[in-house]
Amino acid sequence: MTASEVLVPTTADEAVAAFGDGAGVTVIGGGTIVMPEITYGRLRPSKAILLGRAGLAGITRNGSTVTIGATTPVAELAGLPAPLGPCAANVGDPEVRGQATVAGNLCAGQGLAAPRGDLQGPLLALGAVVRSVGPGGERSEPLESFLPERESRLILDVGYEEAPAGAWVCLDRPHTHDYTALAVSAVRASDGSVRVAATGVAGHGVRLPSAEINADDPEAAGAAATADVTFEDDALASAWYREQTLPVLVRRALAGLKEAS
Amino acid sequence: MKAVGARLPRYDGVAHVTGRTVFVDDVRVPGTLTVKALRSPVHHAGISVDTSPAEQMKGVHAVVTHADVPLNVYGHLSGLGIPGDEPLLAEDDVRYKGQPIAIVAAEDEDTANEAVAAIKLDLDERPALFDLRKAFDPDAPKIHHWGNWYPHFENEMDRRQIRKGDIAWAFDHADVIVEGVYRPAAIEHVPLETQVCQVVPEPSGRLTIYSCTQALYFSMGVVAAHLQVPLNKLKLVGGTVGGGFGGKVDTATETMCSLAALKSGRPVKWRWTREEEFLCSSTRAPWHMEIADAVTKDGWILGRKMLTLHDAGAYARFSPYGLTKHSFHHTGAYTIPNLEFDGYVVFTNRVPTTAMRGFGVTSVSFATETHMSRIANVLGLDPIEIRLKNANRIGDTSPNGIVYSDPSTVATIQTIAEAIGHELPAAYRTTTSAKREGEWLPEHLVAQLGNPEDH
Amino acid sequence: MNLTVNGLAREVESGPLTPLLRVLRDELGVHSPKVGCEQGGCGACTVVVDGAPRRSCLLPVGGLEGAEISTVEGLGTPDDLGVVQQAFTHHYAAQCGFCTSGMMMAAQAYVDGGGTDDREAIQEALAGHVCRCTGYVKIVDAVAAVARGDSFDLTVTAASAGMTSGGDLQ
Repeated sequence: MTASEVLVPTTADEAVAAFGDGAGVTVIGGGTIVMPEITYGRLRPSKAILLGRAGLAGITRNGSTVTIGATTPVAELAGLPAPLGPCAANVGDPEVRGQATVAGNLCAGQGLAAPRGDLQGPLLALGAVVRSVGPGGERSEPLESFLPERESRLILDVGYEEAPAGAWVCLDRPHTHDYTALAVSAVRASDGSVRVAATGVAGHGVRLPSAEINADDPEAAGAAATADVTFEDDALASAWYREQTLPVLVRRALAGLKEAS
Repeated sequence: MKAVGARLPRYDGVAHVTGRTVFVDDVRVPGTLTVKALRSPVHHAGISVDTSPAEQMKGVHAVVTHADVPLNVYGHLSGLGIPGDEPLLAEDDVRYKGQPIAIVAAEDEDTANEAVAAIKLDLDERPALFDLRKAFDPDAPKIHHWGNWYPHFENEMDRRQIRKGDIAWAFDHADVIVEGVYRPAAIEHVPLETQVCQVVPEPSGRLTIYSCTQALYFSMGVVAAHLQVPLNKLKLVGGTVGGGFGGKVDTATETMCSLAALKSGRPVKWRWTREEEFLCSSTRAPWHMEIADAVTKDGWILGRKMLTLHDAGAYARFSPYGLTKHSFHHTGAYTIPNLEFDGYVVFTNRVPTTAMRGFGVTSVSFATETHMSRIANVLGLDPIEIRLKNANRIGDTSPNGIVYSDPSTVATIQTIAEAIGHELPAAYRTTTSAKREGEWLPEHLVAQLGNPEDH
Repeated sequence: MNLTVNGLAREVESGPLTPLLRVLRDELGVHSPKVGCEQGGCGACTVVVDGAPRRSCLLPVGGLEGAEISTVEGLGTPDDLGVVQQAFTHHYAAQCGFCTSGMMMAAQAYVDGGGTDDREAIQEALAGHVCRCTGYVKIVDAVAAVARGDSFDLTVTAASAGMTSGGDLQ
């Protein structure tokens, strides 16, 4: 539980400077993912940044653009419309999501035994843009291109355009200490286009393009979606089970979207 | 019976709500060393161990292996005729993932963990057995020095066996044979408080052992037996348990901590992590039960054939005792006159199983009750009526010949029927536990009747 | 660094990545929060931090400079039980007692935040807390009672319950 250097930046600029190019740095937002790793000896940070007081929290609106600060507690998103709101409300329990941060959730590495990073799904479906620093400096990019590098960059904020309709469906979890085995987000943007994304599939959250092009036919979209993902066994569910249930979740999400429109 | 229904304070209630209940981890003794264990990373292997890198590490005050244990065999139920088979600390082989091989007592948690990691462990992996049904195959890996199932019931029987009446007659005279296989899985106790122990070596030479055991005197005897010391050398402090449910009788930490305290001359504490608790602590056993009942089309159970396999995990612990209780209860609350029961305690390369609420009996209750409903389904009969028909009454005999003098089965079932609004025909509503007669005494139940005075 | 614990200023010497749970138990001698899992999965370690219920096993103390921490020790004493403590006693909401500290702090935060006696709302607020003994019903009863503003008579003893005396059963 000792590190050679622990920094507690009090401004965003200090946080950025502390992070540098990210080499050898462990970022701690809410601590919900990193602290157990430290306690169980799986992670021994040499340099750690505690981000909670760097002023990176808060949700701001500029017209229809919503910007969420990196250390905004997941709980603060719970009242937002689907898919983001219900997804956030389903993370952990009130105490854990009151402490967990949006950026921590987005940057979670692939879980050993269960999927993490639930918010990736809704934000992919919302076409979110991530502003981050790291190697190469600050940049803004769609969440899709950020995700493969999520463990080496520091998110400053994530923004998206409010959408007229959204839906989120998941496999129910037995208890708040469980992760969600599989979830699907669907969004109809103001230009009428539909985006569909899934979490609980191998790696990180992904778009489901085969479902998107069949968005008007939820049943067909569900059947087509399995081609877009790789399924793996984990402690929560087998690959087979996810392959059976993904089409159902896709169908329900798109049906829900139709109803909401 | 003035206390029943009265609103009485719990003796520990105020302490619980003021945070003053002293659990073992709340006991703080200056100079206490932290204990961590080297555990087998594999299910089955021959082992050799070199602990010197840990012993030489700065901050390490004791490393304890089997060589330090005066009596290394865990023979705590030898008083019940169950010989010991399990080492306190592994010697030549390991038989389950998580089996303790050595423990380290060090100045702090990080040092203890580093010392454990430094111990050289050579493994010669062997095939492992997990499916208890396969234990009887001629080509099954041999995983226990007694053979793959427990052979030391009385008269060196390798099973619990009950024979009653004439099972062949029952199966010849049945209208239908109803079969079922029941396989409840292992269950973790998950106490909120993990296994934990604090030991203080006293200047007098005694040991004070703060224990979370559910069975203080039992654990005292186990520790004394391993250490080969008289009971008066030990002072066990406990009775404050953060949840046990049967999982805190194994005395899983007390002896090893005592040895570490003796060897280091310092107080020691060992608190299992939650991961350790899930992966290495004993569970309720998985069971495999096969039932075949010979039944008449009007719902009498003429006879039962039953095979039970109880998964003891790698060592016997209390399993023979659990199976014994299970055997007595294999007909549940019902009178079945012709019986052929065989039950085996089978070894697998899993964490040894132990007691958990209703040890040995919950499995057979589940199987028996489900099977009664299955019979009702097959015959197209009412599931409550079929239970009342076969329910134990005064003068009926149990599987092992005990005559019931006051069973409450009939009244219980009738009360349930009323509570759930299940209409019963008049005869079923009015029947009692009185000795069988008339429509409640078919010919095939006459021979099993006994004198309730003989109970 | 410095914390306020139950109204008292405390100086902390543990390293900044030390979880608040370990600081409270090992350095400051505050034993009511318990080590149940150290993974945020059980709620036995919950304390109130700046008014919000939080898992102390997940909070590195370095990020808590100046924070106000409330624990069970601050709710009341055996001679002067706080209302949540009275409710838990009256309703037999504790059996082994190990989950009780976390449950009570979550309950206190819930009622302080305006929580009602709606059982679903209470269950939602306490959803992260595991109890292996009670089956939860009496815990929810106790929290609902506090939310309703019930008062509790804890003066009953074995004697007043009509049991013949024959020893000190209080």
